[in-house]
Amino acid sequence: MIKGATDMLPLSLAVLPWGVLFGSLAIQRGFSWIEGQLFSAVIFAGAVQIVTIELMAENTRYITILFMALVISSRHFLYGLTLREKLSKQSLKWRIGLGFLLTDELFSLSGHRKSYASKYRLYYALGAGGSFYLAWNIWTAIGIIAGVSLPDLTNLGLDFAVAATFIALVIPEIRTVPVLVCVLVSAISSLLFSFYGFELSLVAAASVGMLCGYGVQRVRS
Amino acid sequence: MTRYLFLEEKLPLRLGPNISQLLSFSGPAVLTAIFIPILFFNNNEIDISVSNAYLWGGVGSIITAYKTKNIYWTIGFGGIVFIGVSSYF
Repeated sequence: MIKGATDMLPLSLAVLPWGVLFGSLAIQRGFSWIEGQLFSAVIFAGAVQIVTIELMAENTRYITILFMALVISSRHFLYGLTLREKLSKQSLKWRIGLGFLLTDELFSLSGHRKSYASKYRLYYALGAGGSFYLAWNIWTAIGIIAGVSLPDLTNLGLDFAVAATFIALVIPEIRTVPVLVCVLVSAISSLLFSFYGFELSLVAAASVGMLCGYGVQRVRS
Repeated sequence: MTRYLFLEEKLPLRLGPNISQLLSFSGPAVLTAIFIPILFFNNNEIDISVSNAYLWGGVGSIITAYKTKNIYWTIGFGGIVFIGVSSYF
């Protein structure tokens, strides 16, 4: 469990700017500190929380907010599918617990062939996911405190840290040509789809990237 | 919900080896589709100019990640480039 937490530590630290950004944004947009903290404690997601706060502040209809949240979270369907073989055998307690903790970051630590296969590895994942949950909530609290006492923090470019973190996770994964193709195609299509304001751009771009990577792998083998 | 659904054992669904292979690409594909728009878009408008600090920082991060494969260096060096460029313009 401790090993999981220490392996997660760089990522837990890396979301500091984003957590602070979210906390201060919640205050900026007129939410109370307890509401802001509950977002992180209950929803426990980065982009969805920020988008929801912005939409709620603009008095958007609830159905629209729910739809946006579903669109942004739909990548978790891919994560669930990917880990299905390993996790669906485990007890309900583990599935619900680790399912709740399954963020982009935890998923990126789940690539090992034997992950989730033994009690030891389950506790490892719990340590990683749990410590990340704790860190996310502490950073949110710091953002809330900063949002109450400091002027606008939301224009400082804190979201760059998110991009840098994901770059740090993706680049070392590019060890084969199919993965390289997958990443390049995903990058180009995400630009195209976002440029044309396509709402499902994230999942669509990721799917096209996956298909191309898979296609190249099939052709080469 | 979105995270849990496919972890449910009772869901009548079996994944063949082809699908599993396809899904093994989901990590890099999704993360790339998240970070690329952060670098290129600012307030919903595409920004490809020398004054876009996100792009410079992104290039710095990618080079560092490639050379060091270390998360701290990648975020640290990318962050320095990002802050440097954004305070210059």
